[in-house]
Amino acid sequence: MIKITNLEKIYRTEEVETVALNKLSIEVKGGEFVAVMGPSGCGKSTLLNILGLLDDPDAGSFVFNGIEVAKFNERKRADLRKHNIGFVFQSFNLIDELTVFENVELPLIYTGVKSADRKKRVEEVLDKVQIMHRRNHYPQQLSGGQQQRVAVARAVVNSPKLILADEPTGNLDSSNGNEVMQMLTDLNEQGTTIVMVTHSEHDARYSHRIIRMLDGQTVLENIMV
Amino acid sequence: MIKNYFKIAIRNLLRHRLISFINLFGLTVGFTCCLLILTYILNELSYDRYNKNADNIYRITRTFYNGNGDATLKLSTISPPFGYYLPTDFPEIQKMTRLLNIGTTSLRYKDKLLNEQDVYCADENIFDVFTIKVLKGNPATALKDPFCVMLTEETAKKYFGDEDPINKVLRGNNQFDLKVTGVFKNFPSNAHLHPDILISFNTLKDSAVYGEENLRKNWGNNSFLTYIMLPENYNVKNMEARFPAFLDKHMAGQEYIGQQASKFTKLDLQKLTDIHLHSHTDYEAEPNGDIKRVYIFSAIALIILLIACINYMNLSTARSSLRAREIGIRKVIGARKKELILQFLGESVLLTWAAILIAFGLLYVVLPWLNTVSGQNLSIDILLKWQVLLPLLLSPIIVGALAGLYPALFMSSFQPIKTLKGLFKVGGSNISFRKVLVVTQFAISIILIITTVIVFQQLKFMQNASLGYNKDHIITMAYSAQLNNGYESFRNTLLQNPDIKEVGRSSRIPTGRLLDGMDAYAPGNDSMIPVKADIRYVAADYDFIPVYGIQMAEGRNFSREYGTDTSNFILNEAAVKAIGWKTSQETVGKNFRYDNMDGHIIGVMKDFHFESLHQTIAPLILKMPAPVPNQTYYNAISIKISGQHLASTLSTLKQTWEKYQPDLPYQYTFLDENFDKLYAAEQTQETIFATFACIAIFIACLGLFGLSAFAISQRIKEIGIRKVLGANVSGIVGLLSKDFLMLVGIASVLAFPIAWYAMNNWLKDFAYRIDIQWWVFLIAGIAAALIAFVTVSFQAIKAAMVNPVKSLRTE
Repeated sequence: MIKITNLEKIYRTEEVETVALNKLSIEVKGGEFVAVMGPSGCGKSTLLNILGLLDDPDAGSFVFNGIEVAKFNERKRADLRKHNIGFVFQSFNLIDELTVFENVELPLIYTGVKSADRKKRVEEVLDKVQIMHRRNHYPQQLSGGQQQRVAVARAVVNSPKLILADEPTGNLDSSNGNEVMQMLTDLNEQGTTIVMVTHSEHDARYSHRIIRMLDGQTVLENIMV
Repeated sequence: MIKNYFKIAIRNLLRHRLISFINLFGLTVGFTCCLLILTYILNELSYDRYNKNADNIYRITRTFYNGNGDATLKLSTISPPFGYYLPTDFPEIQKMTRLLNIGTTSLRYKDKLLNEQDVYCADENIFDVFTIKVLKGNPATALKDPFCVMLTEETAKKYFGDEDPINKVLRGNNQFDLKVTGVFKNFPSNAHLHPDILISFNTLKDSAVYGEENLRKNWGNNSFLTYIMLPENYNVKNMEARFPAFLDKHMAGQEYIGQQASKFTKLDLQKLTDIHLHSHTDYEAEPNGDIKRVYIFSAIALIILLIACINYMNLSTARSSLRAREIGIRKVIGARKKELILQFLGESVLLTWAAILIAFGLLYVVLPWLNTVSGQNLSIDILLKWQVLLPLLLSPIIVGALAGLYPALFMSSFQPIKTLKGLFKVGGSNISFRKVLVVTQFAISIILIITTVIVFQQLKFMQNASLGYNKDHIITMAYSAQLNNGYESFRNTLLQNPDIKEVGRSSRIPTGRLLDGMDAYAPGNDSMIPVKADIRYVAADYDFIPVYGIQMAEGRNFSREYGTDTSNFILNEAAVKAIGWKTSQETVGKNFRYDNMDGHIIGVMKDFHFESLHQTIAPLILKMPAPVPNQTYYNAISIKISGQHLASTLSTLKQTWEKYQPDLPYQYTFLDENFDKLYAAEQTQETIFATFACIAIFIACLGLFGLSAFAISQRIKEIGIRKVLGANVSGIVGLLSKDFLMLVGIASVLAFPIAWYAMNNWLKDFAYRIDIQWWVFLIAGIAAALIAFVTVSFQAIKAAMVNPVKSLRTE
């Protein structure tokens, strides 16, 4: 599903040049659950942003579902993104002015799903993450665990092929964290590919494979059994 | 999707109440000003359009040239023989109608005796040309016979109450009886003239009134408003090209200083609908508007709206960092840039829509104010037509887009990763752009302050200028030929009251215009030769000069001690100069011929401002006409009083008047009231300028208030650290205000030349004007700085007073 080859990303300011990704090559197959680990500044977030088509690489190839996307412009990336990729963030990133229902509905609006269908699908996923009873609340009225369940619901409502999770449990206590990890595992078992950046060895154990990064390169891959 | 935008927009507006309020308030005030001014402008543009044939009606104007070929006088009126010959010489004229204002006329019905101003003699076909509804009487025949009169509804009611006015008789000037033959609806307020009383034109044919002979031959009496109706799409150039030949053909023998008619006079056609805004002749039926004023006010309306839009741009971009996360999320989820731009534009359009709706409500409240200030009779109805209303209700799309486009483009280009990581900081080019906007607002405000001050100065200058005569404690009254015989006795009776100092008569009085002129001859080498300058004429008696305290430069006033003074002349210094003589001394004693009458110049007056300061002092000649039974060259009596015991003075005046002229209404005016009216237009302009300047500055300050609140909130941590390190409150206030004050400084530098240029042009309309003072600019700059400082320091002090422990904890 994902094949990146010799990927490079360099951040430049006037005086400093920081190499975030250094000729990185990784492959993720459809249906895999991959965890990316490494110390702060190793490039794992940059990798996730490029995989999520939020950022473009400076060099190298990125083939997504058999299409070379490294040179896509912003519009094409946005189109590809909204149909294929769901995001889960450490800080949930819900829109404060929208209710739970409206937050989850948003991706369907941008993909042009009709109102009646939207309602059905949003209710389905809210049911699945067991937050249906809070559908008319605003994000600030929910606990962290509840917010992250809403964020997961929003990530999957479009049935994306790939979910990118950036430290999804970072702001949660362990029981809420485990709940979220269990949800991701369930999604993976239903066929969704998942790439997750994490600092937590505990969370990483939910994955099939751990990619360890240092200074923009992979240094080790552990296959979990 | 739109529902979602709408929801977000409403919730965002409610969440940031202060900013939303500032934006909404600014836009509302901006729109209210615009609607107000639009009402005024539409009304100005609607003048005379009520006429069915408005586009095909023209007024004939006449311009006079002096011997040097300079246009010295332009009148909206022409002499009666033109009306006599025009229809035969120009067959394309479909209809012609004439109106002659006969001046103040007393009308009596039973015990009701009143002076009327708007009395006109009118051709019987007047209602074929002007679309005015005739309520009673036959419009085609009511003005056919001599001594018939038609009245407006209001006038009829004034004299006859609920009685049927038809066939009632009004006594005019105690000289003639007028039979009421019709009642017409008042001319609408947006007409360029408003006759109340129309006397049949044929009345003028009566030799006791004016005489048929005069109507055919008096080329000099240019008092007749003459309107013609031409075929649709007629090219008026065609007719104007034939005017010179027409003049020379009929005015043979009417040479002026030795030139044939087409050399010293010219006729023009003026479109009826152009009269109100474009006609600036020396004599108009009523004071007109001015297209320049329309432009100035349009500019003011747009400027105020622009300032409100700038507020929106400023505040939206300033607080964009607060929305950065939302933008990031939307982008991650799949929003395209276009969709985000539409969302933000939607918000600004929505807010603008709310503003215009509220503005409509406010208009009801403020329109009466504008009416009071401007003396207009504006109605909101002029906006309530779909041709106006539809564009107005759609205008928020444009205004909203103008205000919202930059913020929308700016915010939609945020990088989602940065916004979500909290790394996002608004800065760089966007801050400079905001500074440009603030500078623009303040430059506009400073220009408006300077403008207001200079208009005010010019107004004060005109009101307090040394006029060369004394306008205080002078009462004026109408003079009628009926007093000819009893005048000396009337005057002596008045002078027995020690508070009545002088009583004199004249054809025109200061504060009025000087529009009469005849040809003049001065001694040449061996014969009298024509004077090329145009010298204006006033008939004055012995006492005119003393009443007004006019100073003599040389020679003497007319005197009762000299029997021959009716053939002598007094000039002013401007006339001496215009004739080409060097000094007043050499002038006195010279022979002179004026209006075909030979005499001597006995005195030279120092120049004085007979007319308003809009006009340069015209060359002037005073002549004391020999009395003619039952006729008079005088129109006014001027009475100089002491100013003490006003009640008893006025009572003497009333008793004397009623004793000598019981059949004419007792009515008087104080000259200084006339004087104030000279500058009424500038007074109105000043009030409106000042008001709109205040509004503009206020909106700009609102924006600055919001912007500084935001800028300071961004620096809370810095302020905390500085305080921990020992900064005091005043130091911090200075630090925070410094940036904004610098912007005001830049704004001043930009504003000064623009304001100077604009006001220099404005002042050119005045023959006598102030010099623009440098300190006005300084004061405007300081005032703007002060206003900015107060606005900013309010926030700065609040921020500086906060306990640093608290502000550092916001990390």
